Amino acid sequence: MESLIRAWRTAHAEENGKLLASTISLTNTDLEEFAYSTNSARVAEDIFRTLEYENNSARPKIANKTGLEAWAEVYVAYWKVAQALERHDEVEWGQVFVGMKDLTQAVIRGFQNGLWEVWQLEIMYTACKYLRYVAIRADEVKRSNGEDTWKSLEDAARIINRAFNVCLNDRAELAQSRKWGTYYIINILFKTYFKLNAITLSKNILKALVANTTEMPDLLDFRTSDVVTFKYYCGVIAFLDEDYVKAEEHLDMAYKLCHKDAQKNKELILTYLIPTKLLTRRQLPSAILLKPYPLLESLFLPLAQCIKSGDLRGYDENLARGEDWFVKKRIFLTLERGRDITLRNLFRKVYLCAGDSKTRIPVDHFKAAVSWKSGVDVETEEVECFLANMIYKGYVKGYISREKGMVVLSGSNAFPGTGV
Amino acid sequence: MTTPPWRAAGGTAVQRRSLTGSEPHPFIEQRLTSPGPSFHPVSVRKTLGKSNNNSYTVRHPNHRRPYPPVNTRDSHYHRKQTSQPPAPARRTQFPDALKAYVARTFEDCPSENKAEVEVSLKKIITDAFENETVWTIDWATHPLPAAARRQSTATSDKMDISSGDEASPVSYTPAKNNFNSLSKGNKRKLGSRIASDKNEFDRGVTRPDKRSRKINASDYSYEGPDAFKRLDKRYKRHQTKNVFSHYNAMHNALDSPAFAPIVGRATNLEKRYLRLTSAPDPDTVRPLHVLEKTLELLKSKWKAENNYSYICDQFKSLRQDLTVQHIKNDFTINVYEIHARIALEKADLGEYNQCQSQLANLYSEKIPGGHPHEFKAYRILYLLHTCNRTDMNDILASLTPAEKEDRAILHALAVRSAVAGGNFHRFFKLYLDAPNMGGYLMDSFIDRERLAALTTICKSYRPDIPFRHITEELGFENDAECEAFLVKNNAGNFIKTKESAKGDGNNKIVLETAKALPTIEAARAVAFKKVDIKGQI
Repeated sequence: MESLIRAWRTAHAEENGKLLASTISLTNTDLEEFAYSTNSARVAEDIFRTLEYENNSARPKIANKTGLEAWAEVYVAYWKVAQALERHDEVEWGQVFVGMKDLTQAVIRGFQNGLWEVWQLEIMYTACKYLRYVAIRADEVKRSNGEDTWKSLEDAARIINRAFNVCLNDRAELAQSRKWGTYYIINILFKTYFKLNAITLSKNILKALVANTTEMPDLLDFRTSDVVTFKYYCGVIAFLDEDYVKAEEHLDMAYKLCHKDAQKNKELILTYLIPTKLLTRRQLPSAILLKPYPLLESLFLPLAQCIKSGDLRGYDENLARGEDWFVKKRIFLTLERGRDITLRNLFRKVYLCAGDSKTRIPVDHFKAAVSWKSGVDVETEEVECFLANMIYKGYVKGYISREKGMVVLSGSNAFPGTGV
Repeated sequence: MTTPPWRAAGGTAVQRRSLTGSEPHPFIEQRLTSPGPSFHPVSVRKTLGKSNNNSYTVRHPNHRRPYPPVNTRDSHYHRKQTSQPPAPARRTQFPDALKAYVARTFEDCPSENKAEVEVSLKKIITDAFENETVWTIDWATHPLPAAARRQSTATSDKMDISSGDEASPVSYTPAKNNFNSLSKGNKRKLGSRIASDKNEFDRGVTRPDKRSRKINASDYSYEGPDAFKRLDKRYKRHQTKNVFSHYNAMHNALDSPAFAPIVGRATNLEKRYLRLTSAPDPDTVRPLHVLEKTLELLKSKWKAENNYSYICDQFKSLRQDLTVQHIKNDFTINVYEIHARIALEKADLGEYNQCQSQLANLYSEKIPGGHPHEFKAYRILYLLHTCNRTDMNDILASLTPAEKEDRAILHALAVRSAVAGGNFHRFFKLYLDAPNMGGYLMDSFIDRERLAALTTICKSYRPDIPFRHITEELGFENDAECEAFLVKNNAGNFIKTKESAKGDGNNKIVLETAKALPTIEAARAVAFKKVDIKGQI
């Protein structure tokens, strides 16, 4: 226990947030020693005394009585966590979670009561981070016993949400404001909500943020890592909302700010940025872009090639091949719309091959092309349906004359945005 | 003990008395009958603590001396655990302190003693309830059951040794590295600890994972991004089997007859549905064998009378009786499926959806019987109706290969992709060819899709489109139905008779697409704006 509390003192002397945070970390190497250093009947007393001892030998003193009590609460809860992790043959994640909840709440209270300063925010980050991790483990244990629940994680989300409010609503002057912790906490919240499949809750967070935006420091003044994660989630939220223009904006920024070596993060961003650009700009990813990401390369590249060449059958096959992953990432329903572009490219080729009478092309020509490229004989009505959709969606300029069985195309710019 | 009103008479109460009235263990009896249960003298825990203290003093000689005991803090933490408003009337509620007590009992209890501990624990709790002392006993200081206590003394002795060696040089080395200036006090203690080296080695053999971690990890290092990975690795050994044994033991101990579902005694086949506002009364609840007859009666009545409001009401009370009796079997599934189908036939999507979500639970509990594929297909179609993209994605993710081969599900998936791609030609063909009762579900959004298709047609065909073509493409049964649809959407005026150019009397009925477009487009916008009964997933 002593070395832990001593680290607590050192951290205060140096104003070292990371060191302070490590004293409540679950990967702390003194965790086991700490777990065995006292028992449940004595823990409160022991911890308070050790804190008091270290506090008395610190020059100047770190905390008054109230301050010490707040820290004692934190470490008593931390001891419960340590005990549940270390003192059983099998870790009971349910108990660890209960302890972790107490710990996080104690930390939040400390900030709420104005006892701690902005450099100490790291401790809140660490508490929230592990709270989420432990909650997932606790739920997984229950789920492996057949219980379909995310109760602990939901619980954790509520607590982290309080941490968010503690940061957001701080009125202290900017240099000393807890507002600097806002985005880190938001990112943990987003992660949690996404895991819970409660994406609407993420939107509530964004709304609260917008309401406070005038007093917030500029986004780019925050740590870049926080900004990238935040922009990524904003992008995904907009993406799921089918607001692709906004999604592109957020994801583009995340991609540009992302550290060049953070392969995993860039891959995550591209997972959503590629389908987004497909819809907003009808842009396809190049082979060079995809090269560093084998998974994305194997799924997106063939798809992109099929779209480019108007290969309907290849498109369907490649979409089906990646379906499981696409669905899991929630991009399947968006990628599906790429079929329109495939079709447009095919029809464009028909148009280019039409020779002199480019403005009047028989429906049968399109029918032949679709039948050939999709590998099945399609009915004339279905091809007309495709054509009607193309015209309706603005991919093609012209009209169908059913009486004559002809498609009449615009003399100029029949396929907008493609140069013909 | 207070008996809840619904238990006043009948078999269950008798059964319970025989369970709870058994002779308590003499040892426990003695402890529990002592008066003033809120201030039990705690002898047992103290000896435990004392033995701990002794070793503690050895380990940290400078620790205890300079400070006076801070009892106030101690009591502060205890108060937190025990303060619970007494609510003696409710038997099924357990004070939080009691739950903590149960957890504490199993804290250090070795597995071979678990059964014994469980029995004594059960008795303690039962007695506490019988004597109505459950809210007054100070569970935080209440003695642990005999078996658990004996063991915990033994283990705690062992613990002292091990915790002594926990503070051995190995675990302190990293601390020394990082906090040179602070570890002076430690060095003094090192000598005495080296003595436990041999012990250290033994432990190293039995728990190699922890040892290696201690040596490799640097103390208080900034946690890199792999912190979780390390954590995962550390606790991998815990992932299997026993994780829940403590919880199971606790649940068994808390298992009281009050938790058992009720069994009804009513014998009348029919019953009006009434929403429950209090605990169910067994006299008005029908047991399973009666409900089985009820279902037969309802089926024949539905065929004969076709009275939906009566049938729906009866089915709701039938479902309620199943719920309060916790009956979950193939019969339950049958009831819900039949009710869901009847609701579909009558386009009562609200009622259908209630059945659907219950069915999803029943299927996921692997209860045999029923038609999970058929209802999964309905669910996909229902999500198309509500335009719920998020849930649609979830359901696509959940499909198993076997489900993807099922005819009904394949049909539903084809409908989905037709809607997504705007392929109305395919969509209306699928509409006319829907398996099971899928057609009824598609009815709920067919008009909306017709308007969407019609908008596309009006936008892309010039100068007009044959009326017959619309009838065929939009899945109408005949021209009259198509005309009624157009009239209903204020587009009747745009149906024109077009004289043949050759003047041979071969006149055609057409729709003037350009003129109809604004009207149809407006109707389409209205149709898509109407949001369905939300909240019912």
